[in-house]
Amino acid sequence: MRAILAAAACVVLASCAHAAATAPAPGPSAGGAVGYVDMDALVKKHPLYGQLAQYDTNIEALDLTAFAPRAIAAGPDLQRETAALNAQLDAAAKRTNELLQAKGRAYQAQEDAAIAAALRAAAVPNGPSVAEVRAELNATARGQTAEVNTQAQRDLDAYRKQLEAQDAAQINAAQRVLAARADRTFRAKAEELTAKEAAYSLTLANADAAQRLSLRTRLSSLALDDQARDDANQQLAALDQHEADQLAAMRNTDQQTLATLKAQLSAKIDTDMRAQVAPIRARSVQRFQERERELHEQFSAPGGPVATGPPALASNPTLPADLRRRILALHADYTAAFQHDASSTIADFTKTRSDLAHRYAVLSGTDQAASQSAQAEILSLQKKRADLYAEMVAQIGREVKSIATQRGISVVVSDVAAPAGGIDLTDDAMKDIETLHE
Amino acid sequence: MIITRFPSRIIALGVVAASLLAAPAALADDPSDIGFVDQSALSALPAFVAADRQMQAYGSNLQRDYIGRARGASPAQQQALAQQFQAQIADKQRELLGPLFHKAQVAIASVASSKNLSVVIDKRIIIYGGQDITASVRDLLTGIGDPVPPVNTPPPSTVGYVDQAQIDALPSIKSAAGDFAKFKADEDRATATKLRAAKSDADRSAILKDYQAQLEAKQTATIKPLIDKTKSAMSDVAHKRNLVLVVDRANVIYGGTDITADVTAELK
Repeated sequence: MRAILAAAACVVLASCAHAAATAPAPGPSAGGAVGYVDMDALVKKHPLYGQLAQYDTNIEALDLTAFAPRAIAAGPDLQRETAALNAQLDAAAKRTNELLQAKGRAYQAQEDAAIAAALRAAAVPNGPSVAEVRAELNATARGQTAEVNTQAQRDLDAYRKQLEAQDAAQINAAQRVLAARADRTFRAKAEELTAKEAAYSLTLANADAAQRLSLRTRLSSLALDDQARDDANQQLAALDQHEADQLAAMRNTDQQTLATLKAQLSAKIDTDMRAQVAPIRARSVQRFQERERELHEQFSAPGGPVATGPPALASNPTLPADLRRRILALHADYTAAFQHDASSTIADFTKTRSDLAHRYAVLSGTDQAASQSAQAEILSLQKKRADLYAEMVAQIGREVKSIATQRGISVVVSDVAAPAGGIDLTDDAMKDIETLHE
Repeated sequence: MIITRFPSRIIALGVVAASLLAAPAALADDPSDIGFVDQSALSALPAFVAADRQMQAYGSNLQRDYIGRARGASPAQQQALAQQFQAQIADKQRELLGPLFHKAQVAIASVASSKNLSVVIDKRIIIYGGQDITASVRDLLTGIGDPVPPVNTPPPSTVGYVDQAQIDALPSIKSAAGDFAKFKADEDRATATKLRAAKSDADRSAILKDYQAQLEAKQTATIKPLIDKTKSAMSDVAHKRNLVLVVDRANVIYGGTDITADVTAELK
């Protein structure tokens, strides 16, 4: 509703404006040059554009699937049908778990029988029983599951480090850009002040040029007595001193100006850095939490994560090497067969869950809760997208501002309908933005 | 009563006077005659926020009513109900927000006139420079009494604008846009069906990629040539009339030079 209000405000204010305002004929702009940039083109060159495009794709996908035209459920008791679907989903999950457990038991029984046959055939004196071999295999399997968990944690840590490295790279790039910009501004000011000092020195010299000439002419006269010569020399020295004092005063002021500017630029770098670092860090934290959630969902799904390491090693010393290899091969075969079978069961469940979710979506139609849920997801994505876009546009804006200042342009506008006599700063800004990739 | 109200009136008038007196100084800081307003800042004013809340409450009630009546209704009845719902929302919006928008517009015109601005545009498209008149407008809107409209019209501006809605209504553009909209609607339906049948994220990603590629190809074939032609016509007109740039009318709040008629004539 706020978006509607804002949009309506723009349109209505603009409409009202033109109802009242009619310009007879354009004249020259009162100020300096006007520039413009193609913001869309600049955004596409920004290092974060990939992430923005991903948000767009996700929003589009949700928009297409959640709000495609469909009939509203005509049933009088939507809640009852929703509850029935939820019950079907719960039943499917329960059935899948039971099926997986039953299959696990069946494959284990088959594997145990095969191991028992292998043990009998080998006829090892004082050899282990099937139960002992099974216990060892199970212990190793538990170890493998623990290893999967540890590996997942390691992956998560690696991801966190990767995010930290990305953040550091982005922050460094931003810092370099800000420092370079501050340096440019400082050098420009220093050069400007030096030029002013030179101009002032020339002005001072010109101001007393006539007096100096007169004094030097007097000094070149051989008829000048010592008193008059000393007097003329003193006047010349006084003029030199006066000029030097004036210039020194100006230089002192300029040095103070530069010191103040340096402090201001340093403070601005700090402020700008804080403004840039906060969203970068926030985004990384969010991405890390999303990954953590995905991992949690993966571990809590029916079937859980499947250990894919090498087959368990039977380390019983009484087993001959051939028999140990045979048992390991049997275990590997039955584990692979179970995993294959289980994956088809899990795929069936996933399909059932997806079908039920789809039926739920169709059933609920314009049902407020379902619609609000989809809308909330879209709104959440749109907000993330808007935040990211604002961050990108702000960064581009800073680059454009720097260019405009250097080129003496007083106003820069984006989203122009058509170029005319204004100055296109898009290419210059694009070059600066490309340096952000470094 | 008079004693308690008088000081606030003086303060409000003082603020208005100060904002008007400050105009030459602001003009000296930024020599351009281009101003801008942050409309989101204005919409955060208490009057707008209150109206927004009323609109939200009204919309929520209406939506509940609509859902209750739409459930079990035929598609034709649902469509009629939706139209009725939208009309009611629009009426309420006009009733609640119309007077506020009018007042805001008068305040913007008044401030722009006092600062001799030739154009005031939306802050969203200003990247750098220009005169920010938001604070002055806000002071006028929150002061006592209604702002007074300026007597003079805006001075000539080198910033042009076009009413995109009028350009879009030209037969050739309307026809191409209609074709594209139909194509998109068909693609939307087909893609929605494919997405529902997709089994993995990879499938969904491929479907969306294909969807975007189809739309882009169609757009390049049908819409882009017309956009290029329109831009070229706008540029020609702008150059003839010594304008520095042309923006969409929706971004211009006050003043500016309307070149819509010239562009339309050039495109015909």
